[in-house]
Amino acid sequence: MRTALRLLPAGLIAVIALAGPLLAPSPIDAPVAAPYALPGPGVPLGADELGRNVLSRVLAGGRELLLTSLVVACLVTVAAALLGTAAALRPALGRIVERVADVMILLPAVLAVLLVVLSWQGGGRVALVTAAVAVGLPYAIRVVCAAAAPIAGSGYVEAAVAGGERLPQLVWREVLPNLRATLLILLGLRFVAAVYVVTTAAFLELGPQPPAADWALMVRENAPGILLNPWAVVVPSLAIGVLALSVQTAAEVLAPRSGRQVVARL
Amino acid sequence: MTPAVARIDELVLTGPAGGVVVDVPAVSGERGAVVALVGPSGAGKSTALRSMLGVLPDGLTCRAGRVRVLEHEVLGLDPVRLRRLRRHHIALVDQDPASRLNPRMRVRHLLAELAARPGPGELRRLLTDVCLPADDEMLARRPHQLSGGQQRRLALARALARRPDLLLLDEPTAGLDPSLGAEIGLLVRELADRHDMAVILASHDGDLVGRIADRVIELRIPSRAPVPSPPPVAVPSASAVPLPAPAPPTIMAPPPPVAAAVPPPAPAPTPAGGAASRAGRPVRAAARRTPALIMRRLRARTGRRGRTILHDVELELGAGAAHAVIGPSGAGKTTLARAITGLHPHAEGVVELDGQPLPLRLARRTGEQRRLIQLVPQDPLGALNPVRTVGAVLARPMRLHRRVDPADVPSRVERLLADVALPAETVTRLPHELSGGQRQRVALARALAADPAVLVCDEVTSALDAPTAQALMELLMRLREERGLAVVLVSHDLDLVARHCDTACSIDRGRISWAGRAGAVLQRG
Repeated sequence: MRTALRLLPAGLIAVIALAGPLLAPSPIDAPVAAPYALPGPGVPLGADELGRNVLSRVLAGGRELLLTSLVVACLVTVAAALLGTAAALRPALGRIVERVADVMILLPAVLAVLLVVLSWQGGGRVALVTAAVAVGLPYAIRVVCAAAAPIAGSGYVEAAVAGGERLPQLVWREVLPNLRATLLILLGLRFVAAVYVVTTAAFLELGPQPPAADWALMVRENAPGILLNPWAVVVPSLAIGVLALSVQTAAEVLAPRSGRQVVARL
Repeated sequence: MTPAVARIDELVLTGPAGGVVVDVPAVSGERGAVVALVGPSGAGKSTALRSMLGVLPDGLTCRAGRVRVLEHEVLGLDPVRLRRLRRHHIALVDQDPASRLNPRMRVRHLLAELAARPGPGELRRLLTDVCLPADDEMLARRPHQLSGGQQRRLALARALARRPDLLLLDEPTAGLDPSLGAEIGLLVRELADRHDMAVILASHDGDLVGRIADRVIELRIPSRAPVPSPPPVAVPSASAVPLPAPAPPTIMAPPPPVAAAVPPPAPAPTPAGGAASRAGRPVRAAARRTPALIMRRLRARTGRRGRTILHDVELELGAGAAHAVIGPSGAGKTTLARAITGLHPHAEGVVELDGQPLPLRLARRTGEQRRLIQLVPQDPLGALNPVRTVGAVLARPMRLHRRVDPADVPSRVERLLADVALPAETVTRLPHELSGGQRQRVALARALAADPAVLVCDEVTSALDAPTAQALMELLMRLREERGLAVVLVSHDLDLVARHCDTACSIDRGRISWAGRAGAVLQRG
């Protein structure tokens, strides 16, 4: 019951973000009221800089952010799980992977996004995802490496090596199943980080282009009129925050409780 | 009559399906008394000890029973008082002390963090108490620089450092050689007498129990009606274990009738041909080439520039032969076992299998070479992946090495489990649902699943009761006969060695100090 309750915000925000465009009461690109009109009949959250319905745009503006961030988080987690575990099992490979990761961590996220998206003309969403993965991967690899190291030294991995198992089998059968909790939490964290990178890109108008509806873009577009209709800025900002936090909470709930210990806890 | 420090009024635990999994009879421990829990592997000895700390295994529910320690009802005690009770009054040394020692702490700090008066004199006294060298070198070591037996004694010293009222010991002498086991036994007895401690221990060591226990309580595996096949332990029933009276040393392992069928020990195989020495015997798998393991001038170090822990060890083993490695705790027996398997990274020397030189580094060995030599490790807790079921663990080597037709794998797994005297339902269990002795047998079954030519067993019977140990040794004996399996047995159980091995060697401080026929180990004293 409590589990369901803690999963609820994530489910709700996902449904809104995915089904929102269908629920929008009016078109997202047609003016329905005066610019920066306060909430009134027909426009419960008021209007934005061009007099478009804020509610419609909020409902429509989450899908791309959610999907892009999810794709980035999944790619980063899967790649980090495989690379990090392999690095923990093969110290020679591990040294190379970790040094490369260390260098990549030095690259500021905003700079990386600017570099990739601006130099890859017409790359669109693929370019953005590539940049976000490149920015997120090094941190995730370091986390997985550290988590996998004690397992790589454990008796059962040793027994599997002595039994003739090869690297892919060791990664897939012996180590990763024991990292389920860590990986789920990591997925949640990487989702938050991905939301951060994707919204930053949108803020810099490197992602979705006007007149598309997008939460981050809305914050930027409507910021000048924040005193006239604060809802046009506050609601998309809140939506971004709730999205990031709720997914993290859900990942924590779904993660198995501290793994299956061989010995009962004392 | 002093009041009991700890008392269990029959504890009945049921599994998720409602069947009785553990049924502990009434147990009580008074100050100054040593109480021993005995019984077959899986009967709930460890669970009984842990219940006194207020811990029940995950997934089991308590259907009946009360556990009282120092006038506290520990099951359901509030966390603050439970913690205080554990901190000041109870100490548990469990079956696998190695995993309880923080690998990053030195012996000095491991002891000082618990000692009542952590002065240097006190630390040395604690080490002396458990027969460890009380010098600065020992105090500066970390747990991984100790042997299995030394880790166990360090864990005991940690438990004593707190001067508890109630000392719980789970297999205190497993992995220790007999003389050391006897000293630890004396120490426990003395602690009970001198410090007025209540000691409750679980043990398979009939000798130890007979010598130091005031009372012996036998636990049985509760009969579960729906189990299709009872564990095929075809050995004297547990009731043959003498209960009330102190047992003479050998009585725990009465030679069962089967032992008579065991062929007399073969003469030591000659280096030229281990197979030749067996020519007179009917070996059914004679068509198969009989590999022999030869080791020459084997040295091992702790690190690339570390101490040398094995000096020029030589070993020869014919197909179907059994060689025992004995010696005091910390002598290098486990290192030898790991070096044969290729798991010790800093070893040099020559290893030949079936006349072919074998790389000492595991990474350089082919899959087939790895399959042919299998190790059953000393630590049965760490050796099984916590998320894989027993069935998956056993099926994997069969599929990996394609030794078994995929359709036959489930039936082979079932047979393997029966071979190591585990019930068929074990297939779906996870390691944390098994007892120490059961895990040990799963590890052995996994090694056998690869169909090896050489099996290296590191203390495989240390957590087993005498009848189960006997059954396992008979299984190995049968495999030696049928498939020409060669066995290297690292053990402290001289009785077992004398009865089941052909040749033996003793290792002392990294050198072979004696080698000869296994039958002679008992006379060596």
